Amino acid sequence: MNSQIQLINVSQQFSDQGATVHLFSNLNLVIQQGRSYAITGPSGSGKSSLLMIMAGLEQPHAGRLSYFTSNTIAPLDSLRRSTGFVFQQFHLLPELSALHNVALPLKLRGDKYAEEKAEVWLAKVGLANRMNHKPTTLSGGEQQRVALARALVFEPKYIFADEPTGNLDANSAHDVADLLFSCCEEQNAALVVVTHCQKLARRAQRVFNLEFGHCGVQRDDARRGALC
Amino acid sequence: MLGPSIKLAWQLFHQEKYANHQVLLRWTQGVLLVFMVTLSLTSSNIQYFLERNLQSLLGADVVVSHSQKLTLNQIKELNSWAKKIVWTRQLKAMITRDEQWQQISLKAVGNDYPLQGELRYSQQLDVEGEARTVSFPNGIPRLGEIWLEPRLMKALNVHVGEDIELGERAFKVSSILLHEPDRLLEAHNVDMRAMINAEDLSSLQFPDEVIQHRYLIAANNSNIQNILDWQAVNLPAARIHHKGSGHPLALFWKRVENFVGLTSIILFFMAAIGIQQLSHVHVRKDQLFTALCMSMTASKLPGAVISWFKWFFGFAWSLPGVLLFSTALHWLIVKWLRDTFTDIEWFWDVTQLYTPIAILAVVFMLFYSRVWLSFINCSAAQLLREAPLKSQQWISQLMILVGLTMVAFFYSDNHTLTFMVVIALAFCVVTMIVVSWGSLYVLERITRRMSGLIPFSLYMMRQRIVSKSTQMLGVGLSCFLLLFTLMLLKDFGASMSHYTRQHDGNVLVTQATPAQMDAIQQWAGQKDISLRQHKPYVYAQLLEVNSIALAKFISNPSESAATLSRPIRLHWSDTIPGNNRVVTGQWWQPDTRHWQQISVEQEVMTDLKLHLGDTLYFQIGPDRAAFRIVASHEYQAGNGSITFWMQVPPAALAHLNAARYSMASMELAEPHWAELSQLWRQHPSLRMVTLKDLMRRYDNVLGMVTTVVSGFSLIISLLAAIVIVATVKSCEARDRSRNSVILSFGLSRLTCFRLTIIEWFFTATIAACGAISGTYLAGMLIYHSQFSLAYSPDFLWLAATLCIVLLLVTALGLMASKQSLNNSIRQLMAEN
Repeated sequence: MNSQIQLINVSQQFSDQGATVHLFSNLNLVIQQGRSYAITGPSGSGKSSLLMIMAGLEQPHAGRLSYFTSNTIAPLDSLRRSTGFVFQQFHLLPELSALHNVALPLKLRGDKYAEEKAEVWLAKVGLANRMNHKPTTLSGGEQQRVALARALVFEPKYIFADEPTGNLDANSAHDVADLLFSCCEEQNAALVVVTHCQKLARRAQRVFNLEFGHCGVQRDDARRGALC
Repeated sequence: MLGPSIKLAWQLFHQEKYANHQVLLRWTQGVLLVFMVTLSLTSSNIQYFLERNLQSLLGADVVVSHSQKLTLNQIKELNSWAKKIVWTRQLKAMITRDEQWQQISLKAVGNDYPLQGELRYSQQLDVEGEARTVSFPNGIPRLGEIWLEPRLMKALNVHVGEDIELGERAFKVSSILLHEPDRLLEAHNVDMRAMINAEDLSSLQFPDEVIQHRYLIAANNSNIQNILDWQAVNLPAARIHHKGSGHPLALFWKRVENFVGLTSIILFFMAAIGIQQLSHVHVRKDQLFTALCMSMTASKLPGAVISWFKWFFGFAWSLPGVLLFSTALHWLIVKWLRDTFTDIEWFWDVTQLYTPIAILAVVFMLFYSRVWLSFINCSAAQLLREAPLKSQQWISQLMILVGLTMVAFFYSDNHTLTFMVVIALAFCVVTMIVVSWGSLYVLERITRRMSGLIPFSLYMMRQRIVSKSTQMLGVGLSCFLLLFTLMLLKDFGASMSHYTRQHDGNVLVTQATPAQMDAIQQWAGQKDISLRQHKPYVYAQLLEVNSIALAKFISNPSESAATLSRPIRLHWSDTIPGNNRVVTGQWWQPDTRHWQQISVEQEVMTDLKLHLGDTLYFQIGPDRAAFRIVASHEYQAGNGSITFWMQVPPAALAHLNAARYSMASMELAEPHWAELSQLWRQHPSLRMVTLKDLMRRYDNVLGMVTTVVSGFSLIISLLAAIVIVATVKSCEARDRSRNSVILSFGLSRLTCFRLTIIEWFFTATIAACGAISGTYLAGMLIYHSQFSLAYSPDFLWLAATLCIVLLLVTALGLMASKQSLNNSIRQLMAEN
C-alpha cells in the first residue's frame, strides 16, 4: 500500500531584522509515494522551506503536515526514516571512496550487506569501475550519480532533490535526470525536485510553481485540477 | 601599495575579530603571553630587589669567608689594599634552656663590628611577640651576654634578662637582635640567629674546624680588584663577595626562572598544536580571499601582506588585556614572594616587556607560518582547490620545531632536565601516534565487514587519521601535563608523611667530630638507642676541573654548580655503599693503593659536563688534592638515605690532613627528646636536624610547590580546553557536513550524537594511554634526579585520574562539538 504526505493549510514565514517575511500561506498539497513532483519558482520564494516542511524537518508556522501509511496517520518520525536527499553540491564525504559513500546509510543502519548492496547500486548508476575512487577524482556528473545511489540505497519512500542538476553540464544533467527519475520509479519512491530548470521540471508528473506566496499547479499528468 | 593593504587588513580583522577561529587564536596566544610576561616582570622585580639588597646588606665593600683563620701575613697583605678589616666568626651551635634546645647560627663579633651599616637591637617585645620598633643602633653584646633574634626568643620562650646555656656556660639574654648589616651573606638560610662577644667564643672551646671566619673589608674599587686577584691565587678555597658581584640568591632565582621557562616548552608545544589546528580554518579563509584577489588580477603579495597584518592586528589587539592581567598576576606573585624575599617592593618595568613579547611574536609567527606558506607558492586554481603542497606542510612542521627549539634555547640551563622533559614529551607523542595509528588500523580492519556506529566511527577516524591524531596529540599532551603535575603534587604531600614512617630515624646527625660522635654513641648506648647509619666525611672545596678554575668551568647555573661553590662532604668507602649503584666506569678494588680516584654522582656529572678521566682539584683542610674520575654513581632506595656526591678510596685519608666528621641517624623515643639537651650542653657545635625541623622545612617547600603547581595546572587546563576547542573547530566544517549528510539519510540527531560520543571517547582513550605512559616515564626520569623523590606509581590513583580525564575530555569535546551537532539539512541546501 502506497503512503502519502499531506500538507494542510500550511503557511511559513520568518523574521529578518525585526521584519516578518511571509513565504507562502495556506498551501494544501499531497505527495504520493511512487509519483514525481517538481517545485519551481524564483529565488527566495520558499521552495527549500517547502521541501523541508514536506520532509518533516521543519515545523510550518501554521497548518499541519500528516503522513499516511496504510491509510492511517503515522508519526512523523517514521516519515523521517523513509526519506532521502540529493543536493546540488553532492555533499559526498571526501574521506570515503564512492563505494563507502554509498554504503554509508546502510552501515549506519547496521546492515551487514552494506557494501554488497552499494556495489549493486553503483553498477546501476554506471559507476561499477569507479567504486574505489575518492570524490575528488570523480567528475561532477559522477559525483552526483554516487550521491543518487547513496540516497536510494536504503530504499526510502521519498526522495527530495534540491537542484540536482544545477551544478552539471547539459549532458551530465540529462544523464543524472534520467537516472533520478527512472530509479525512483523503479523503487516506487516519490521524487520531489526543487529546480529552476524547466526542462527538468517538465519530466515530473506534477509541477508546482511557487511565486508571491502562492502555489499554482503548472502541469499534472495524472489528473487535471489544482489541489492548492 | 602597503597602505591600502593595511587598511583592508584592519577592516577584515574587525569583521572577523569575534569569529570563533580568531577568538581562539587570540586566547591561545594570550595565555602564553600572560605566562611569559608575568614571568619576565616578576623576574625583573626580583633581580632589581637583589641588586639593591646586595648594595645595602653586604655590610662591607668586600667580604672574604674561609673555613680557616687567615695568617698574619695574609692579613698584612690584605691590609695593604684595605682601608679597614673587621673579623667576625660564625658557627652553627645548639643553645639550651632547661630541657628546650634550638639550633642557631651564632656570630661572634668584636668592638669594631659593624664595618658599614647599622647593627640594630631592642630590649622589649610587644604583646604580640614582635620586637618594638624602638631600637638602638650599634653597640655589641658585652661579655657573658647574648642577643637573640625575636623568633628564637619565642621558640625558647625566653625574655630579656633571663639566662640560656651555650654548651655548659650560661649567657644572659640582654637584647633582641633586630638587624645585622652583613645579613646578606646568610642568603636564604633560615637558621635562627644569635650574637655574642668575640672574647666569649674562645672560652667556649669550639673546635676550630666548625668555625667559619668572615673578614669584612672596606676598600675602594681599584683595590677590590686587587683583593679579588689576590684571593684567586692565595685563597682559592675562600668565598668572596663584593658589591659588583652577584647576589647569593640571584643564581637561585635564575634557576627557578629557567626551570619554569623550560617546563613552559610543553605549554608551547600545546599552543603549537592549538594554532596548527586553528590554522586549518585560517588557511581556508585566507586562501579563498587570496584566490578572489588573484581572480581580480591582483598578485599574491597583497594576499600575503593582508594575511600577515590580520595576524599582527590580532596579536596587538590582545596585548592590552595581556598587560593588564599579567600586571595583576605580577603584583600577586610579588606579594606572595615577600615570605622569601623580605621587603621586596612591587614595581612595573616597561623595558622588561619587549623581549618576551618579541620572542613570542616570532614563535607565534613560526607556528602560524602554515597559513602563509599554504598559498605563497600556489596558483589561483590551487588556492580555490584548497590543496596546499606537501612540502609546505613539512616546512610548517619544521617552523614549529624551530619555534620550540628557540624556547628551549632561551630558557634551558639544566641539560639533564631539558633532556628528560624532551624525552618524556617525545615518548608521549610517539606513544600516541603509534597507538592511534596502530589501533585505528587494526580495529578498522577487524570491523571492516561489520555495520553499526562503532565500525563506522572507526572507519571515519581512520580516514581522517592525520587530523585525528593531531587532535589526540593535543588532548594527550594536555592530559600528560595535568596528570604529571597532579601526581607530583600528590607525591610531594605523600613524601612528607613518608618521612615519619622511614626507618632512618627521627634525628639526623649532620656534622659530628670524632669526639662528638663518641659522645653520641655513648649517650645512645646508655639510653639503648641504636644508631641507624654512620658515615664519615671530610669537607672539600672543589677548586678546579682539569686545571680550569671552577667559576670558569661552570658555564650555566644549576643546583649542582650552586652547591659546589661551597665546601661539600667527601666520603670514603672501599666498596659501593648499599644505597648507591655505579652508573658508569668502575669502582676501585678494596684496599687499593691508588688513592687519587673519585666517584661522582651522575647528575653532578651531567650538570657540570664532567667525564670519566677528568681531574678534580680540591682544597681539603690545608692541602690541595687531585682526583681522577673513575666512576659515577647514583642513589638507590633502601639501605638508608645518607648518600654523598663525591666518594674516594679510604687510602686517600693517609694523604689528607683535614678534620673528619660523621653523619648518622637515630630513632629517639618520646622521653629521649628532653635528654638531648645533655648532649648539646657538652657539645654545642654538634649539628643535628630533627624530623620535626625537616618536616617544617618540607612543609614550607610543599606550600610553595603547591601554589606554583596549582597556578601551572590552571594554565595547563586553560590551554588544554583551548586545544580541544581548537581541534574541534578545525574539523567543524567537515563534522557539520557529515552530520547533515547523516540526517539526510533519514537518521536522527541522536545517531550523530552517539557518533560524536564514540569518536571523543576513542580520542580520549588514546590520549589517556599516551598521557599515562608519558607520565610514567617522566616520573621515572625526573622524580629522583630533580625532586629527590622515589618514584612508585600508584596505578589505582592513575586509573581513577584517567577515568576522570576521560569523562572530562569527552564532555568537553561534546560541548565543543555542539555547533556541528546543531546543523540541519537546510544548511547543506544553503551551500548550493
